[in-house]
Amino acid sequence: MTGQYALPEGFRELEQFVPTWVVSRSCDRATRRLDSSEEERVAFFNAARDLAAPALELLDKKPLSQLDEREQRLMDLMLSLVHVALAVEIQGDDEPRHARGARHVIITRASSDGPAS
Amino acid sequence: MCCNLAGIERTGLKYFLEELLVTAKQSPQEQAARAADTAGLGTGPIPAGPYYRADYFELEREAVFRRTWLQIGHISELPAPGSFIVRPVEIADASILITHGRDGQVRAFHNVCTHRGTQLVAEAGGTRSRFSCPYHMWTFSDDGALRSAPDFERFYVDKSQCSLRKVAVEVCAGLVFINLDPEPEQGLRDFLGPIAQQLEQLPVASATTFSEYTYEIDANWKLTYDNFQENYHLRFIHPRSGEAAVGPQNPFGYPAKFGFQGPHRTQTIWSNPDAAPKPFQGFAFGKAFEAAMADGCNMTLAKDYYAIFPNFFMLGSPLNPFSHCVMPIAPGRSRGVIRLYWIGEDERASQRFAREYQMATARDIHAEDRAVIEAGQRGLQSGALSHIHLQEQEVLCRHLYHSVNDQVEAYKARLQSAGGTL
Ligand code: FES
Ligand SMILES: [Fe+2]
Repeated sequence: MTGQYALPEGFRELEQFVPTWVVSRSCDRATRRLDSSEEERVAFFNAARDLAAPALELLDKKPLSQLDEREQRLMDLMLSLVHVALAVEIQGDDEPRHARGARHVIITRASSDGPAS
Repeated sequence: MCCNLAGIERTGLKYFLEELLVTAKQSPQEQAARAADTAGLGTGPIPAGPYYRADYFELEREAVFRRTWLQIGHISELPAPGSFIVRPVEIADASILITHGRDGQVRAFHNVCTHRGTQLVAEAGGTRSRFSCPYHMWTFSDDGALRSAPDFERFYVDKSQCSLRKVAVEVCAGLVFINLDPEPEQGLRDFLGPIAQQLEQLPVASATTFSEYTYEIDANWKLTYDNFQENYHLRFIHPRSGEAAVGPQNPFGYPAKFGFQGPHRTQTIWSNPDAAPKPFQGFAFGKAFEAAMADGCNMTLAKDYYAIFPNFFMLGSPLNPFSHCVMPIAPGRSRGVIRLYWIGEDERASQRFAREYQMATARDIHAEDRAVIEAGQRGLQSGALSHIHLQEQEVLCRHLYHSVNDQVEAYKARLQSAGGTL
């Protein structure tokens, strides 16, 4: 039955966010944040913030290189949550002003993208 | 601003209280004198021209950037024999090739073929120990020697005369510095002085990788750099992201201490010990703190900020271990490179999550500064002001101006006594 789900068990509430917020590179996650609407960000943040602790607890059980596909999606979702949390929790209604400058600050390398080639 | 993860690090309070005690023991006259002239740098207005004029930029090129140690990379970018990087230094019209030789040595060269000057390597980096010029296939080894050149018998020169032109390179605390002066006046360690030892205790010294973000900005390199060495703007430009860096005891979030060492400067960041992080922020900082502890990082330098002349600074915090280099491109254009240094690749989910949060937090704050720096440049460039005013708490900006200008003046004097050319 689990075949129909994109995420590990226990994270069904987050399934609906998989298409928009599973983004595999840091630079693209930052851009996704800038391109999203406030409603999108708030909905994702509210649904995901309390699941971050159990998600990381589950994922911490193995080295990152051994995550299966579902776990990898959950990891990417948690990394998008990082960017969204800054927008919702820290910037709040200042996010649009903030976004203007942020477009010019480009992530060129991130540890989350794996070892530099 | 130097963003810091307040609410976790509490040492700032101690420094701030010490500072208050020092101030309280001074007479009003002493306090006024201190306020009026921090570090003997004077109190007068600073000329505006150096922040936009093309002729001053030319002088900086010769007096500063062509003869000073410049941070250009990190040793983790040259992990093994055969790895190389290529970095532009626009203000010197230079491109620098840095190699990690098969003999283990790190060397730097002008990325210029010695046949007819073609730029030798087009990539930004990779793994290779031979470099062939695309034009006529002169081929150099990673120690700069010309190995082979087609039909070389027809030339009138010996191969030994055709090595790549060397550039001085030295490493301190994992940071790679170059010096474009063919005979640098002093070695890197003499140049850095006591700061060298402090840098060696920071995470950057044992880092094996980093995250990076960059920006280009329509602003002079000093104006850009200055933004990050004064906290006067913090309340106005970072009302949300900078909340923990101010408090009722220190409404502008001024640093607890300044220090000056030759052309370099240091400060001790203050953060509000009572600031409570937001819930998710607290969760993420907790993960970062666990990771820093696991790396056995030294927290005693966590509030220290090191500004290395001319255009590089580094924060000591293991929770926010970033450096920022502002590269001049043109009188009114610069590039910022910010790096957060990590010991080891991401191993577990929590660590990866924490590093992403640390980087995104710092990036958010840097992104906020951009608009106001560019607005400053537009204003200055109009020529409306002959001078700008700096308050006591903008003394690091004053110190940078003087450090640059001293070298510009010394260069002009040498030029004059040499009859116009150096
Ligand atoms: S210019 Fe490089 S081989 Fe001719
Ligand atoms: Fe700032």
